Amino acid sequence: MFTSLLSKISSRNLTCGFHTTSCLNEVRLLTRLRVVDNSEIGKRAMAEGKPPKVICVYNKQRVGYIGDRVMVAIKGQKKKGILVGLKQTQKVKVPKFDSNNVVLIDDNGTPLGTRIHVPIPTILRTILKERTHSKGADYTKLLSIATKFV
Amino acid sequence: MTTSNLKLLCSNFCKLRLDNMVTRSNSYYKPRYRPPHWYMPKDRVMTDDMVTQENKQFIEEVMKDKLKMQTEMKSPLVEGDVQQTVQWSPFIKRTGLIARKIGNYPVWDKSGKKLQTTLLQVVDNHVIKYIPPEEYKPMRNSTQSGIRTQRHGCLLIGSQTIDPSTVTKDYCGIFDSVGMLPKQHLCRFLISPEAALPTGTPLFATHFRVGDYIDIRAKTIDRGFQGVIKRWGFKGMPASHGVTKTHRRPGNIGGGGEKGRVWPGTKMPGHMGNRWRILRGVKILRINTKYNVIWALGVAIPGETGAMCYLYDTVLPLKKLKTAPPFPTHPPMSDLPLEYYDESIHPFDDSTITLDDA
Amino acid sequence: MSLALRKTTDIVAATKWILRRGCLNLSTLPEKSEVLEQSGNEVKRRSGRKPVNPILKCRHVYPEFLPDPNPKWRNSLREKLERMDMLKRRNQIEIPEFYVGSILAVTISDPHAQSKTNRFVGICIERKGSGLRAEFTLRNVVDHQGVEIRYDLYDPTIHQIQVLRLEKRLDDKLFYLRDALPEYSTFPFDMDPEILPEGTPVPINPVQVKLKPRPWLERWERQELKGISNIEEHLKEKDRVRRELRKKPWEKYDLMLQYRKTIPIEEQNDIWSEVYNQLHQLQVSQKKISRKRTYSTPKTQLG
Repeated sequence: MFTSLLSKISSRNLTCGFHTTSCLNEVRLLTRLRVVDNSEIGKRAMAEGKPPKVICVYNKQRVGYIGDRVMVAIKGQKKKGILVGLKQTQKVKVPKFDSNNVVLIDDNGTPLGTRIHVPIPTILRTILKERTHSKGADYTKLLSIATKFV
Repeated sequence: MTTSNLKLLCSNFCKLRLDNMVTRSNSYYKPRYRPPHWYMPKDRVMTDDMVTQENKQFIEEVMKDKLKMQTEMKSPLVEGDVQQTVQWSPFIKRTGLIARKIGNYPVWDKSGKKLQTTLLQVVDNHVIKYIPPEEYKPMRNSTQSGIRTQRHGCLLIGSQTIDPSTVTKDYCGIFDSVGMLPKQHLCRFLISPEAALPTGTPLFATHFRVGDYIDIRAKTIDRGFQGVIKRWGFKGMPASHGVTKTHRRPGNIGGGGEKGRVWPGTKMPGHMGNRWRILRGVKILRINTKYNVIWALGVAIPGETGAMCYLYDTVLPLKKLKTAPPFPTHPPMSDLPLEYYDESIHPFDDSTITLDDA
Repeated sequence: MSLALRKTTDIVAATKWILRRGCLNLSTLPEKSEVLEQSGNEVKRRSGRKPVNPILKCRHVYPEFLPDPNPKWRNSLREKLERMDMLKRRNQIEIPEFYVGSILAVTISDPHAQSKTNRFVGICIERKGSGLRAEFTLRNVVDHQGVEIRYDLYDPTIHQIQVLRLEKRLDDKLFYLRDALPEYSTFPFDMDPEILPEGTPVPINPVQVKLKPRPWLERWERQELKGISNIEEHLKEKDRVRRELRKKPWEKYDLMLQYRKTIPIEEQNDIWSEVYNQLHQLQVSQKKISRKRTYSTPKTQLG
């Protein structure tokens, strides 16, 4: 009886070709992100149900961690963004979010939107200050449009 | 004149020939195995001796008396028999300690960062014997060719006193000859003759100071016969896509043609662990003087919990001792503070860390 | 040889423990609140026959004082030193009694924040680790965004742990709140602490959460959770069949499994008798302080 049941299950399982369990929740190539600022393009993409996809993570590991710069494909365009909240397990005292959040920026580090409507981890303040160099892009502008820190 | 010259030449030629003569023998003389004299079989076959109850009690009494004597024995350093006139210098090698790894737990530093530490308990260490460099002639293996003068003496240190009836007579003899009770663990430390210690000197965790760096030698965890993935970190082969029966195997182990053989040193399956390894330059963060426990930074100290390890002053040039440590060792004192903390560590009985507004 | 010896001693100890378990069912850890109730009932029933050591109740309030039961990592001296350090830290700040399901407010000194302190309010969804490694996780929904923060219980950067609402939930891990509707894990940051009258047992909140439709983070239907109300709505026939197949009903009879997960009663007695006096004194002194605080707050408001 059990064997018949099992065979039934396996045959049924074959029809479903993908699984929906979460694994590491890493931000890597082709991860869908959530835009959390009020930039026009970001708002429209989220409203249409076509969230941006990661097409490049600018670090050595090619896995995005908090404060990393990513390039996303959003509504047929290439835009840069900064990861401001991650779903994967974080270190002690660093918040873990329910979604992978991104804030869109341009090449100079200026955010495209004017407001971020979710909380931002405080550790981002230190990380972005370290990444900002006097001549390069200034990422700390992102901090000034944040509404809340956790 | 000419004859004398000729003679000289002749004699020189003779010398040359004789000097250059190489004796070759077909048989290789293996050096005789000469283990150090303290390498004695320790484990005894426990037999059911026909001992009466009274005799058993008597043996126990004698054992208790001996233990009492051992514990009441004063350190020769305190009694003042030994006058230490030599000052410490960076070229002098001090003795080490025998410790047991008892686990790890975190401590926090003053900025609030968590550091993982390993606890090393210095268990009942006593100096057993000192062998000066002239008398200490260790066996050399074939790789150490040439005659080297022995500069370091040998100091035998034992840890953890045990019942003499549980070990062999030969093993007891090592300790009896110097008037000590047998120890569970015995180790040799090579030291400078200036750092020699008299028999019976107890050693404590305060032999090292907080903030110093030490080398730790221990046997790694025995993992038995392991495959190539666990032993060398190979990637293995895919789980599917037509792979059959080679998911965790090494694959190719060599080329063909000129190199058509397995090269020495090829990474292959085999026995993993249970090797002596030294972790160098480990910082001491905290010392407890009551229980003789050392908190060492990091969790990579070889061996599992409960394994014995040997602690030395580090040999790393940048982390070597710069100021004079307790030399030759720290004498037993009664008025020591209970705990020593490194200045970077936040003691648990300090108040909560607060950060000033910068 | 030594391995075989260890095995035999292990088996002997286990059989002893199992035999003892027949008369006293107290050495189990509070895996679930249900166990608690059961043991409580048994205590009542057996109170006439056998007095139960009252200090054993500490294992629910201070679970991190019990070491990890894995014999690989046990060492009596290390555990003792660890307990001493924990008590030293507890002398510095008040670490209150709380459970999974309680609502806490944690203030830490944060070098990244502008004010150098950071306060977070949330429901405790997990409590794990023993000794100085003990940690707990808080969850809250801020601006419609779920946030979770993990804290070390004995971290010296923690200024204050305040219990806003002391209660338990039906399960011992509340990870399913991640898949539940956001209102079940939304708590305002300016919540006032609710003070329970003294001597009342910790209330169990019987609230059952509603899950969002699939996909979920885990297969909640296989975990026998009591705190979920609408799980059957989202299941297909396939899931029900698989759940039946994956059930392990024999595990609750597996005494060896339980033995390996728990600290024997004799060792617990030693541990608690060592720390109970200090913990009790701390509790009394902190109660006094908290009473003073409750009296003083209205005065400041008046003034």
